[in-house]
Amino acid sequence: MITFENVGMRYGMGAEILQDVSFALEKGSFHFLVGPSGAGKTTLLKLLYLAHRPSRGLVNFFGRDLASLGRDDLPRLRRRIGVVFQDFRLFDHLTAFENVALPLRIKGATKKQVQDHVEELLAWVGLEDRLHARPATLSGGEKQRVAIARAVINKPDLLVADEPTGNVDPEMSQRLMHLFVELNKLGTTTIVATHDKDLVTSIGAPVLSLRRGKLSMNGSTEDTAEELG
Amino acid sequence: MWGRTLQFLPKSKDREGLLPWVIGVMLFLCALAVSSAVAIGTGIERWSTDLSSNITVQIVVSDAAERTRQTDAALRLLRATPGVAEASVLASADVMALVSPWLGDLPIDANLPIPDLIDVTLDGVTPINTSALDERLRIAAPAARLDDHQAWLGQILDLGAALQAVLYAVVAMVILSTIAIVTFGCRAGLATHAEPIAIMHLMGAEDSMICRAFDLRYLAHGIKGGIVGILFAMTTLWLISRMASELGEGLVSAFAPSNDFSVWLLVMPLFAALLTMTTARLTVRSALREMM
Repeated sequence: MITFENVGMRYGMGAEILQDVSFALEKGSFHFLVGPSGAGKTTLLKLLYLAHRPSRGLVNFFGRDLASLGRDDLPRLRRRIGVVFQDFRLFDHLTAFENVALPLRIKGATKKQVQDHVEELLAWVGLEDRLHARPATLSGGEKQRVAIARAVINKPDLLVADEPTGNVDPEMSQRLMHLFVELNKLGTTTIVATHDKDLVTSIGAPVLSLRRGKLSMNGSTEDTAEELG
Repeated sequence: MWGRTLQFLPKSKDREGLLPWVIGVMLFLCALAVSSAVAIGTGIERWSTDLSSNITVQIVVSDAAERTRQTDAALRLLRATPGVAEASVLASADVMALVSPWLGDLPIDANLPIPDLIDVTLDGVTPINTSALDERLRIAAPAARLDDHQAWLGQILDLGAALQAVLYAVVAMVILSTIAIVTFGCRAGLATHAEPIAIMHLMGAEDSMICRAFDLRYLAHGIKGGIVGILFAMTTLWLISRMASELGEGLVSAFAPSNDFSVWLLVMPLFAALLTMTTARLTVRSALREMM
């Protein structure tokens, strides 16, 4: 479904952050992305959620070569990708309901569709009684659940999470990870960047390991846990 | 017209709160400059119309008897000329009143060689060749001098046209300055809202959706500023016209805006709002095209 072949990435005239990165994410797969700080995880994720184009190499999204896509083609493609950030990136002036509704409104959903889907999804993440709360009044775990609901409201084909448990306690980390696993079971291809070895070992999914811009597939969860220290 | 508008931009009163005031000041200056240009045009047109329908003939002879003889001859000729509605000699008292600022209050029978003045009113229908009339007058009354006021009226018209050009240039500069200010303000707004815009893009928003949010915000700024500016401008013009009305008819009294012109003044806030919105749209669209 998504393939990277010999992808390299540099910002401006700087050094290459990613070098000859190649991998494939099959439909419905679940992967962790691990690596030390500065290894290039965030850059790789930015390529995955179409915030940047690679400097070189071939990238294929849902059967379409990224190089052949113009700027006007990107919005439609991005609607098939959900993104969760470590720092949530919610709109502080909007309520939880309004934050989650945004992707639906962008897609052109009717008022009724928005009402039904958002309420249902916020109930699914356990925030049915916080519909009209603004992010400033929510805890870290609640904010991240709103962010996850926003990322998956359009039933994306790909879910990209950049350190989604970085700002929540271990118990909440496990709860959030279960949400990702449930979504994955529904067919959403999922990739989660994390530093949390407990999460990686508890889920037992395949691991992509980045070190100094180079990617390797790490089949053994134990090896990865050892690597994460 | 607007389609679906997404309210993703946070309110930023503190950052953009001054923009409506700046637009208001610009509109105020613009309205005053346009009003002044129109007033000059109206005033000059009034003078021009009044003076074009009038000519003056002077009979400049020191001998009183000869002056009276030539004045009668000139009057007969003028009254018989097609296109002349009326020709009459100004009374001695009126002539003395005209020269009194220079000569003081002299008795009417003072032995001064004051010329006779014939005030000629044209019918405005039959065109008059003033050069030919001047030649015929000099035959009938050799001391007659015809003045159709064209020499100094031409200078006044040139001055008026120059002033109008300057005022319209001021209007153009104010409009260009407004565009520049809105462009800078909009770029600052884009920098301030860079993250919400990036998130909207990542969620699949098209540029047009992001532009619409800015369109509405800047349209509101334009309407607010426009209304404030036009209220101040109308108040100022009303005060000037009140003061001018005490001076009587003339160039200054033309500052009182006509009904038609008042309608145009009231449309100016809408123009300011559309200018602001269009500038913002072009700025945002061009900035978004540079993003991924």
